[in-house]
Amino acid sequence: MTHQMHAYHMVNPSPWPLTGALSALLMTSGLIMWFHFNSLMLLILGLATNTLTMYQWWRDIIREGTFQGHHTPIVQKGLRYGMILFIISEVFFFAGFFWAFYHSSLAPTPELGGCWPPTGIYPLNPMEVPLLNTSVLLASGVSITWAHHSLLEGNRKQMLQALSITIMLGIYFTLLQMSEYFETSFTISDSVYGSTFFMATGFHGLHVIIGSTFLTICFFRQLKFHFTSNHHFGFEAAAWYWHFVDVVWLFLYVSIYWWGS
Amino acid sequence: MYYKFSGFTQRLAGAWASDAYSPQGLKPVVSTEAPPIIFATPTKLASESTVYDYAGKNKVPELQRFFQSDGVPIHLKRGLPDQMLYRTTMALTLGGTLYCLVALYMASQPRNK
Repeated sequence: MTHQMHAYHMVNPSPWPLTGALSALLMTSGLIMWFHFNSLMLLILGLATNTLTMYQWWRDIIREGTFQGHHTPIVQKGLRYGMILFIISEVFFFAGFFWAFYHSSLAPTPELGGCWPPTGIYPLNPMEVPLLNTSVLLASGVSITWAHHSLLEGNRKQMLQALSITIMLGIYFTLLQMSEYFETSFTISDSVYGSTFFMATGFHGLHVIIGSTFLTICFFRQLKFHFTSNHHFGFEAAAWYWHFVDVVWLFLYVSIYWWGS
Repeated sequence: MYYKFSGFTQRLAGAWASDAYSPQGLKPVVSTEAPPIIFATPTKLASESTVYDYAGKNKVPELQRFFQSDGVPIHLKRGLPDQMLYRTTMALTLGGTLYCLVALYMASQPRNK
């Protein structure tokens, strides 16, 4: 049996990049079929194959790392670079929405009444639920740090407790935000205010859901003893993502909810 | 100040004088014995360490032995369940792609008004 003479990871051939790319095709054309031809079939197929791909791809990564030991320090370094670069790309994604918001709000056109918020738009009070949301996410940043320190110290029970608190705070944020969406007196089609508000906060909400899901997976992995006190990159990646989501919210709160009201 | 032993926190806690009339040692409810010492539960993968039954045993060492490389690609290592999931995913993906191409072809046909 040949053994490799280097510490890098030569991955087994995998079908998931193909199914992932094709599922992206199905999702995008599915959206077209839904918008223009009132048919949900393709979109549902796309979402299903996307979910199946993600599940199996990440399941395989866990098998390769935790069970086969391929995640040597140098491989882990590469994974860290990868996660950082991905988060940077997400920062740019949100930068676009913030650009759109500032473009429209710094010089409001006559059609809006020359003011921001535009005439007729009654924004949400930033000192009510949005402020609560801010405290919820900040608290979740504290609890996830507690979870990390517990993990580093080998304190299994506390790590699970702190991580579950973090997840519950994330869910609480999502529920609060959903109820706020019902409370707004404006919709996405109410001028550029509505567009920028719902696009920015909507994508943020989606990222909170993604982050909460990632944390939940970390929770189950911790239950199953996958993490050790000095090797738990999956958890670190989830924590970085979660902090990113928190920071985006802070920018959203200050710019759109507070300054923009 | 009267004290009782709290079985929950394993420390002395304040109590009322009336508790002196029902000493803890006589009541089976609160255990005054120290619980077995729980070392910071090993999150390290040490198969020789004591197994602490917190939502099941640590199955990682056994899985590490199971997943050793033997020519079978990682996505099929578990055998049947892996194969079924792979086949379902591939079937839905390829079938969906064909459906997509047909749908796009039909959508690109001009509609005669």
